[in-house]
Amino acid sequence: MLTITNLQASVEGKEILKGINLTVNKGEIHAIMGPNGSGKSTLASILAGREDYEITGGEVSFNGGDLLEMAPEERAREGVFLAFQYPVEIPGVSNTNFLKAAVNETRKHRGLEPMEPKAFLKMMREKMALVEMEQAMVSRSVNEGFSGGEKKRNEIFQMAMLEPSLAILDETDSGLDIDALKIVANGVNKLRSKDNAVVLITHYQRLLDYIVPDYVHVLYKGRIVKSGGKELALELEAKGYDWIKEGAAEEVAA
Amino acid sequence: MEALDFQTSLIKGFTAFETMLNGQKVPPIHDIRRQAMTRFAELGFPTVRHEEWKYTSLVAAIKHDYKLPSQAASTLTAAEIAPFLIPELDAQTLVFVNGVFAPELSMIHIQKGVTVRSLAEAFHDKHPLVEKHFAKVASFEKDALVALNTAYALNGVFIELERGVVAERPFHLVFVNDTRMSSVFTPVRNLFVLGENAEATVLDNSHTLTASKNDQPHYGFTSSVTEIVLGENAHLHHYKLQNDVEASYYVGATSVHQESTSVYNSVVITLSGGIVRNNLSSVLAGKAADAHYYGLYCVNGKTLVDNHTLVDHAVAHCTSNELYKGIMDDRSTGVFNGKIMVREDAQKTLAYQSNRNILLSNNATINTKPQLEIFADDVKCSHGCTTGQLDEESLFYLRARGLDKEQARALLLTAFAGEILEKISLEPLRDRLEAIIAERLHQELA
Repeated sequence: MLTITNLQASVEGKEILKGINLTVNKGEIHAIMGPNGSGKSTLASILAGREDYEITGGEVSFNGGDLLEMAPEERAREGVFLAFQYPVEIPGVSNTNFLKAAVNETRKHRGLEPMEPKAFLKMMREKMALVEMEQAMVSRSVNEGFSGGEKKRNEIFQMAMLEPSLAILDETDSGLDIDALKIVANGVNKLRSKDNAVVLITHYQRLLDYIVPDYVHVLYKGRIVKSGGKELALELEAKGYDWIKEGAAEEVAA
Repeated sequence: MEALDFQTSLIKGFTAFETMLNGQKVPPIHDIRRQAMTRFAELGFPTVRHEEWKYTSLVAAIKHDYKLPSQAASTLTAAEIAPFLIPELDAQTLVFVNGVFAPELSMIHIQKGVTVRSLAEAFHDKHPLVEKHFAKVASFEKDALVALNTAYALNGVFIELERGVVAERPFHLVFVNDTRMSSVFTPVRNLFVLGENAEATVLDNSHTLTASKNDQPHYGFTSSVTEIVLGENAHLHHYKLQNDVEASYYVGATSVHQESTSVYNSVVITLSGGIVRNNLSSVLAGKAADAHYYGLYCVNGKTLVDNHTLVDHAVAHCTSNELYKGIMDDRSTGVFNGKIMVREDAQKTLAYQSNRNILLSNNATINTKPQLEIFADDVKCSHGCTTGQLDEESLFYLRARGLDKEQARALLLTAFAGEILEKISLEPLRDRLEAIIAERLHQELA
C-alpha cells in the first residue's frame, strides 16, 4: 500500500529526514517511535502533504501512485488520513458542515453520489458512539473551545467518518489521560480491517498497550535505526531511548 | 478649484433652501440650522490634513456638480425600488427618493405607542421631542459634515416609541438617490427616541439609481445623520446595509445617547460603494448601559470604507463591546478608527474592541487605529487588531480532509464573515446577506 524509499527532506536548509525506508501493507499496524526531534512528525506531515518541507530525495508510492506529486486534498481523497498532533480550531465552521463537505468530496472522487442528509446523520451518530462524542461537540465549530482530549477524539471521529485506507496518527496519545486514551484506542481498533493500515507515531509505549502494533520502528536523527515486533516497544519502555542513541552513535563511528 | 465650488454652492444654496422651507423657518429648529450653516462655512469640507480624515479623501466626492435637495425632484415606481426591499421582511417600510418621503412607496402600520413619520412633518408640527433632541445628540461644533447635514436638516425619519412599547415590526428605512438625470446631493436626517423599556429594530440602507452605461456618469452623495435617544432599559437593534454603486459617496454619523441599562446593538455591513464613511458613537450616560458595535466590510474594486467609532463611558458599570471585521480585495481601502473614552467616574467599565482584517490582494490596504483614553482606575479594557491572509494552518487542515483550496478558502472566509452576520437577528436580512456574500466570495475565489 505505502512504500517509502530513501525519503530525504529538509526545512530551511536543515536536513530532517536522511533516508527513510518503510513499507506498510494492507491490514498492518506500524508504530514509529523515537525521541523528540527525531523527525517523526516531519514524516507524518510530509505524507499528508504539508508544504513547509523540501523533499530532497527519495520517493513515496501509495497504491501505485506517486504520493509526493499529489495535493493534500488529493491524498485525502485517495484514502490518506492524518490525525493532527495539534488539531486547529476553526471558529465559525461547523463540524457537521465541514465533515459533510469532506465526506462528499471523497465520495465524488470515488465516483459516488453525495450522501443523503438522512444517511449522513445516521452515519454521524454511529461514528460518534464509537469515540463517545456528544452531539453538543459535533454541533460546535471545528475544535473550537475543545479540550486537548476532545480535539484528539474529534480527529478519530473524522477518521471514522472518512474511512481512510491509511491512517497516520501523529502523537494522538500525547496529552491524553488514561480514559481518553482508551476511548481513542478503542475507536482505532474498531476501525481496523484487513484492508486498511495504521501508522502510529508516538513517543510513549503506553498507547501500544491498547493498540497492538505488528511492527515497531525507531526513528532517530532522521533515520529508522531499528525495527522489530511489538516487543521492541517494551524494550524501549524499559531501557529508554539512550541505548538506541548510543547504538546509533557507534554505528556512525564505525 | 471645483472642490471649492461645491462647498460654495452649498453655502449659497442655503438661501434657496430657506426660501423653499417657507413657513417652516421658525425657531428653535431653524435657528439651529442657521448656526450649523455658519459653522459649516467656517469649517469647510475636511481634507486629509484633518486627523479624523487622514486616510479618507473627499476630493473625488466633492468635485461633481450636484443638484441640491431643493432642485432634484424625482418620482420612482414600485418596480424601480423593488431591488432595495426585502420581500420576506414584514416591516414598517419608509422609502425616500432624493431625500423626500414617498408615501406611495412606503408601508406604515399603525401601532399604539409608536410614532413613525417623516421628520419634515414632525418639524412642521413642532413635535416637542424633536425640538428637545434635535442637534443635541450629534454635535456639529467640530464636524463639518454634521454641520452641513444639520443646516439642511428637513427630510428623514422620526420614530418615537412610548414607554414600555415593543415595536411589533422592524422599521426598514430605504433612501434612494436617483442620479439618472443629474448628480444628486441628499441630506438625510433621522431621530429615534425610545422611551423607558421600549424596544425596536431598525434597518436602514441607501441606494443610488444610475443611468445606463452610455450616458454621462452621475454621482450620488448622501450625508446622513441619525440621532438616537435611548431611555432607561430601552433596547435598539440597528442594522445598516451598504451595498451601493461605485458612483456613490456616503458620509454618515450615528450618535446615540444611552440612559441606564439601555442596550444599543449596531451591525454595519458594507459590501460596496465609492466612498463609505460611517461615524458611530455612543455616550453611555446612565449606569450599566451597553453598546455593542459590530461591523463587516467585504469590499473589492476601488471601494473605500471608513469606520470611525467612539464609545464614551461617562458613568460606572457600563459595557461596550466592539468587533469589526474586514475582507478586502482588489484595490479597496479600509479604515478602522475605534476610540474608547473612559471618564474619571466610569469605574467598573468593561470595554472591548477588536478589528480583524483579511487581505485577499496585495493592492488592498487597511489602516487601523485603536485609541483608548482611560481616566478611571478600576476598569477592564482591551483592544486588538490583526491583519493578514487566511490562516495557512486552517487551510491545510481542511485540505487534508479532502476539500480543495478554493472550497477551503471560501469556507474560512464565510466563517470569518459569519461571526458578524450571526449578530443579525432579522432572519430575512441575514439570509440575504449570506447569499450576497457567498456569491461574492465564489466570484472572487474562482
